[in-house]
Amino acid sequence: MTSATATATPDATTFVRRKPPRAVRRRRLLVIVADHSLLIALAIAFLAPFIFIAFTALMSNDQALSARMWPHPFEWSNFTDVFTKAPFMTWVGNTLEYSILATIGVVVSSVPVAYAFAKLHWRGRDAMFIVVLVALMLPPQVTVVPLYVMWAKFHPFGFNFIGTLWPVIIPNWFGDAFSIFLLRQFFLTIPDEYLDAARVDGCGEVRILVTVVTRLAKPAIAAVALFSFLYTFNDFFLPLLYTGENSGHWVLSIGLSEFRSLHQVQWNLTMAATLLVMAPVIIVFFLAQRAFVEGVTLTGVKG
Amino acid sequence: MRRMRWAAVLACVVVVGASSAAGSDAAPAAPTKLTIWVGWSARELGVFKQVVAEYDKNNPNVTVNVVGSINDNKIVAAIRAGAAPDVVSSFNSYNVGTFCGSGGWINLAPLMAQSHISAAMFPPATRYYTQYNGVRCALPLLADTYGLYYNKDLFAKAGIKGPPKTMSELAADAKKLTVRSSNGKISVAGFDPFIGFYENTPERWITSFGGKWQDAKGNAILAQDPAWTKWLNWHKSLVDWYGYSNLVKFQAGVGQEFSASNAFEAGKLAMNFDGEWRVAFIQAEHPNLNYATAPMPVDDAHPELYGQGYINGTIIGIPKNGKNTAAAWALVKYLTTNSHALAELSNGLRNVPTTSASGRSPEIKPDAHFATFIKIFNNMHSTTSPITAAGVSYTNLVQQFATKWQAGQVKNLQAGLTQLDKQLDALVSQAKGPGVP
Amino acid sequence: MSSAVLTVDRRRARRRAAWRRRGLVLLFLAPWLVGFTVFFAYPLVTSAYLSFTHYDLLSPPRWVGFANYHYLFREDPQVWTAVKNTLWLIVVLVPLQVLFAFGLAVMVTRARMGVGIFRTIFYLPALAPPVAATLGFVYILNPVTGPVNTILGHLGIQGPLWFQDPHWAKPSLVGLGLWGVGTVMVIFLAAVLDVPRQLYESSELDGAGSWARLRWVTLPTISPVLLFAVVLGVIQALQYFTQAYVAAGVASGQASQAADVTAVSLGYPLDSTLFYPVLLYQHGFTDFQMGYASAMAMLLLGVSFAVTLVIIVNSRKWVHYGGATR
Repeated sequence: MTSATATATPDATTFVRRKPPRAVRRRRLLVIVADHSLLIALAIAFLAPFIFIAFTALMSNDQALSARMWPHPFEWSNFTDVFTKAPFMTWVGNTLEYSILATIGVVVSSVPVAYAFAKLHWRGRDAMFIVVLVALMLPPQVTVVPLYVMWAKFHPFGFNFIGTLWPVIIPNWFGDAFSIFLLRQFFLTIPDEYLDAARVDGCGEVRILVTVVTRLAKPAIAAVALFSFLYTFNDFFLPLLYTGENSGHWVLSIGLSEFRSLHQVQWNLTMAATLLVMAPVIIVFFLAQRAFVEGVTLTGVKG
Repeated sequence: MRRMRWAAVLACVVVVGASSAAGSDAAPAAPTKLTIWVGWSARELGVFKQVVAEYDKNNPNVTVNVVGSINDNKIVAAIRAGAAPDVVSSFNSYNVGTFCGSGGWINLAPLMAQSHISAAMFPPATRYYTQYNGVRCALPLLADTYGLYYNKDLFAKAGIKGPPKTMSELAADAKKLTVRSSNGKISVAGFDPFIGFYENTPERWITSFGGKWQDAKGNAILAQDPAWTKWLNWHKSLVDWYGYSNLVKFQAGVGQEFSASNAFEAGKLAMNFDGEWRVAFIQAEHPNLNYATAPMPVDDAHPELYGQGYINGTIIGIPKNGKNTAAAWALVKYLTTNSHALAELSNGLRNVPTTSASGRSPEIKPDAHFATFIKIFNNMHSTTSPITAAGVSYTNLVQQFATKWQAGQVKNLQAGLTQLDKQLDALVSQAKGPGVP
Repeated sequence: MSSAVLTVDRRRARRRAAWRRRGLVLLFLAPWLVGFTVFFAYPLVTSAYLSFTHYDLLSPPRWVGFANYHYLFREDPQVWTAVKNTLWLIVVLVPLQVLFAFGLAVMVTRARMGVGIFRTIFYLPALAPPVAATLGFVYILNPVTGPVNTILGHLGIQGPLWFQDPHWAKPSLVGLGLWGVGTVMVIFLAAVLDVPRQLYESSELDGAGSWARLRWVTLPTISPVLLFAVVLGVIQALQYFTQAYVAAGVASGQASQAADVTAVSLGYPLDSTLFYPVLLYQHGFTDFQMGYASAMAMLLLGVSFAVTLVIIVNSRKWVHYGGATR
């Protein structure tokens, strides 16, 4: 680019990028800084709660109850205390049991349903899909009372469902409206040629679903699994309802909220426990960032 | 013929004898595992477990598993799900109306009759809050009474000789004892009247004014009984003197009620309205605190009420659909009527023993602070809150009204109380369901 | 072979294929059909039935006609506060969340450096479990010992009482909600980045400044995503439970342990955080009143339908579906 220097006089044949006048440059710089400074301030505001929580988690109980902000000394033992002073591992176990079983159930049951809505043709398909959407929009509180009654009265072989996590896990094995919606939207984008080619080869629909579609829809299925896991990991209302009075079956969200009754709100331990509960999700996020962002994008853009 | 009649009579005698033996004090022969749910936790739970361990030792065919930290919600949920334990205990009697009315806790009268336990063994106040509509589904297991705790050091510093006996003395002393910091914040409060702070709830206050909740038909009379208006006005003037937001800030800055940094125990509160159990807590956490106890002050216009207090207490019962009713009843009987057990529990928890006999037991360790509360318990003016089908929602509604009043959100007190009465009556009829008297 | 036989065979074969296809569809739909019937349709119908009964789960339901509805609409002292609070969420929290998420997304797209870092930082709080986040916020916003008021105090500002003040409790929950807009922000980010550049360029040629471009190009193009965010927000507002329950419980627990026993904590302070799902939970699962709670559920059903319908009908005016992948 021998002729494209800033000081060269403009010439009919060459295009020269001239530096814009200083006033314009300064204004543009100010705009950039202004944009970024607001972002930076917001970023600090977003991170601040984490930092405060972390500081409190490292304080002694008396310090946590005072207005001091910097822990002195650093009580790293708080993190181990959480495990000894409360049945933290039990809660972790229960939460994982719930999340893993529910996630597997959601994926296994929602994929065929979504496929039926997307790629199979049958009468009333679109009307039924609206019904799925309607189910999505209604708050769970609308059906929670009769469901509770149902589980309370159902005693196969003398087994009590109330007090366990099964009433919360089992419905996930029968399809989840949000996952069905998401998967269906994605399946719609799979070109019919792939499926027709497989059909010509003699594959039955089940085989097509299992081999062709699942492989093509891996990002969507991964997103659904991720969201189900996240949602069930954080679930509070339904576990509260069914296991609220049975502390042996508490999940992490309930354990955390009840930490105060056990220990008179020892805020330092409560904040340490809060960090421990947030940590795995955040770690998983960093490891699977792309899947997260893709999944979230899929939800919104295809929705 | 005659032989047949004699045989029949003999058979009847044998049957009656066998059934009474089955319902008598002896626990069933097979080893039974019982579970009992109680509200206590931490140190207090340890005291209860010790007493139960003694029962275990003396009854080798029964092992009792104690579960603590139970509240009424958990009891309700368990009974509804059919997963209730053999024996349940609740910290207070608010929900007796629902427990007895719905049959969730079984009627103890037949069991009591079989064991020759008469309700007269228990003082009248405790008899009231363990039954509903004539059905006795609970027995009292130690009672709570409320009185005034005051810090003698702070009193001496302020030059106050003795505890206040009337409400105006209480307000005056509270103002004298309060220390504010330079920016108006309360650093030491003479007395915190805030409804919602520690044990401050309307039902515990209104006894000092002789207030009544319901008329003979069970309708709420808070608007008609002048005691309520008098109390609420007195109360608000003290809250306003402190400043509403100053009290909120004070509360947010002091320690938890049941921790060692309790405001009274830590010297941040000169006088406190608290239950008799606080004696044991202070003994365990701050034995060097120089304090004394007295009955709550009363309305200036009713000095004859002085010495009374609010009574409530732990209740114990047997949920329905239990499998080991006989063994459960044996345990309940032991805990509620055995003077030795009651004395031990009383000594450890510093709760008031609930039979007339155990109250006089020589095993009770004398304690000047605690003696105040036994006197309050035996005072004939001491009362409790009403038992209704609405359970704890009844007193909760009044508490919500009082908190709105102290925040200044009620413009016309009389109109507000009239509306509150209507709401309380509607609440009770809704809880009973229409068509039920 | 005669053609008549062939046609019959073909017809039979086609009918058999049709049946096989229907069977296949049923097979695929089976989990959802069973789930929908057992866990949704049947409970909905039962809820309607129970709303006309007095039912405490300890004795069989007793038919009481419209008594529950009478109490609901005329006599329950807390219902209208609960309805107002939930509507407040829909009218205040949802638009704020959508606008804030959109604003963040636009700012992040305009950033030259560190887009990935900013996106991560803004998304992280959305990953925090709601209970953990609420506990953290209640602690941080403690009016006396919390860091926020301490810092404000250093700056000479008298901080409000946050969760202890009925006028500030809902705004504190809004703050908590805004902290967690990460998910919606990421969706907006992707949508804004998806806007075809030609549209921007042609509008620039027409002399549009950045605000005009935002208003006339970006917003209309991403309007389906806006609708999605609004509907999502409204659905969440109608179910809002966890944060209110935990915040009220902890904030009142700071005041008194007695709150645990007498359960006055729901809606603390002074019913300002009493939302409709919280009241429903209280009546159904602490007060023994399952018939009445079912009546409340029916009202919630009606309101949910109405609100969602209003939004969707209204959306036809401002949502442009041109260019979206359908």
